[in-house]
Amino acid sequence: MTATEIEDLLRRLTPQVLGAVVRHYGNFDLAEDATQEALVDALVQWPRDGMPDNPRGWLVAVASRRLTDLLRSEQARRRREETVAGWALTEPAASAADDPGAAAEADDTLVLLFMCCHPSLSAASQIALTLRAVGGLSTAEIARALLGSEHTVTRRITRAKQSVRDSGVPFALPAANALAARLESVLRVLYLIFNEGYASTSGTSLVRVDLAEEAIRLARILRDALPDDSEVSGLLALMLLVHARHRARTANDGSLIPMADQDRNLWDRRLIDEGVTLISAALPRGPTGPYQLQAAISALHDEAESADATDWRQIAALYGVLRGLDDSPIVALNHAVAVSMAAGPQAGLVLLKRLEADSRVNADRRFHAVRGHLLEMAGDRPAALEAYRAASQVATNLQQQRYLSQQIARLSSWGSEDTD
Amino acid sequence: MKYMILTFGSQQHYQELAGLPTSEQPWTHDDWAALADFMGKFNQELLDSGELVETRGLSAPVHTRRVQLQQGAPVITDGPYAEAEEVLAGYWVIECENFDRATEIASRLASCPGPEHVRARAYADVRPIDERQPDFEG
Repeated sequence: MTATEIEDLLRRLTPQVLGAVVRHYGNFDLAEDATQEALVDALVQWPRDGMPDNPRGWLVAVASRRLTDLLRSEQARRRREETVAGWALTEPAASAADDPGAAAEADDTLVLLFMCCHPSLSAASQIALTLRAVGGLSTAEIARALLGSEHTVTRRITRAKQSVRDSGVPFALPAANALAARLESVLRVLYLIFNEGYASTSGTSLVRVDLAEEAIRLARILRDALPDDSEVSGLLALMLLVHARHRARTANDGSLIPMADQDRNLWDRRLIDEGVTLISAALPRGPTGPYQLQAAISALHDEAESADATDWRQIAALYGVLRGLDDSPIVALNHAVAVSMAAGPQAGLVLLKRLEADSRVNADRRFHAVRGHLLEMAGDRPAALEAYRAASQVATNLQQQRYLSQQIARLSSWGSEDTD
Repeated sequence: MKYMILTFGSQQHYQELAGLPTSEQPWTHDDWAALADFMGKFNQELLDSGELVETRGLSAPVHTRRVQLQQGAPVITDGPYAEAEEVLAGYWVIECENFDRATEIASRLASCPGPEHVRARAYADVRPIDERQPDFEG
């Protein structure tokens, strides 16, 4: 095995090993340290001494030994400090190195995900802890990916581990009645990680660990554990179908290319096929949730031969259903665009009118930009120009501002040609 | 040791970058492509050498809000800068051997492509970050 292959294997095994150790011993925070130490041992020993027969069992055994050491020194420290509560050194129910089979491996990973996305943690902590414990990223990698300092990430993870410990959350799947809500929080965290991969500030886009790809990897792990959940499949499908377009989204000068102008040959057919297969299998299974609906919308875009051939009627209908499930003004904006494309700009402008009083979005760049676009479609150039100018005034991102400048310049020159 | 490299620009320079119709010397597509290429390589090299801690660009000065005490109470001013006033535009935090190495890294920014009038006025500052070093070893 090459060093890279060993690293890949270790990353894949990390959540399983951590999950197994926590299941046997509890103490999530120390288990995490023990697992990291076992991984470091493996990185040193495997290339030198050769691969063990059962890498996962080897890691679990080493991590368990490390954890026992850590618990002992923790106990000693606590005795020294004369604290009341010491750690109860529980004996494992079975040898932790036993291979519990594929089902238990998937379960351990799943329970770990549920723990990292526990609702008592802030979203930022959930993200950092998930990337660390399930994704197996180092704190330095997480810091770089989230554009934060390593110090902050370390502190955030430490605090998160502490609050998991203090909350006394058992290392087990949530009860059936709480499962749906908890799964929703896991899906949201993975979706946030994915989106974070797309939210880059100018000049830094090239230096980020690819969070979108990491989110896809985590969503695959989740789907392996819950293959029958239609929203889990929907989320993975959505990520694949959006990520399929990523090479076509940016020009060589860093500017953003709207979907209608993208070179569709750059879209990744392999990802599109996989996403379409996933969402086609998930939708009839029901119940239909927001991730499946967004995946279905993305699939319709991805499968269109050209921008003109897009099935806007179907997309508008799907956004209509999505609005019933998701009150977000951004969904409402997208709905208005789709309705305009399907039924003409006036119908879309009527929908936008209802958002004018919505303080969540009526001062937002996107609201004004969409309004400009629809007004231009409707042939009202002066009003469109006004709307684009309003968008430009509140735009804080240089690339988005460049796009708006182009629209303003284009409409201004048309105006002067008309008066000639 | 950690150092900060700072770059500066005025509202006017941002307008030129954004290609706002009001700007007299807007950046072209090719200017931007050259900049994106240079910055990508510059950052990637710092990342590969392990010296990059963090880098960010700031939005145009017009989006600034200033909070200031007036007669003992905080008062907020929107867009406190003059059009041509140069203010912080972006920064890198790097961790490297010493001040000379940090200066060497900052000097590479001198080859950053751009319209001539921009290159003529551009500069970068390097400043040590105030960190307490241990007084004694061991």
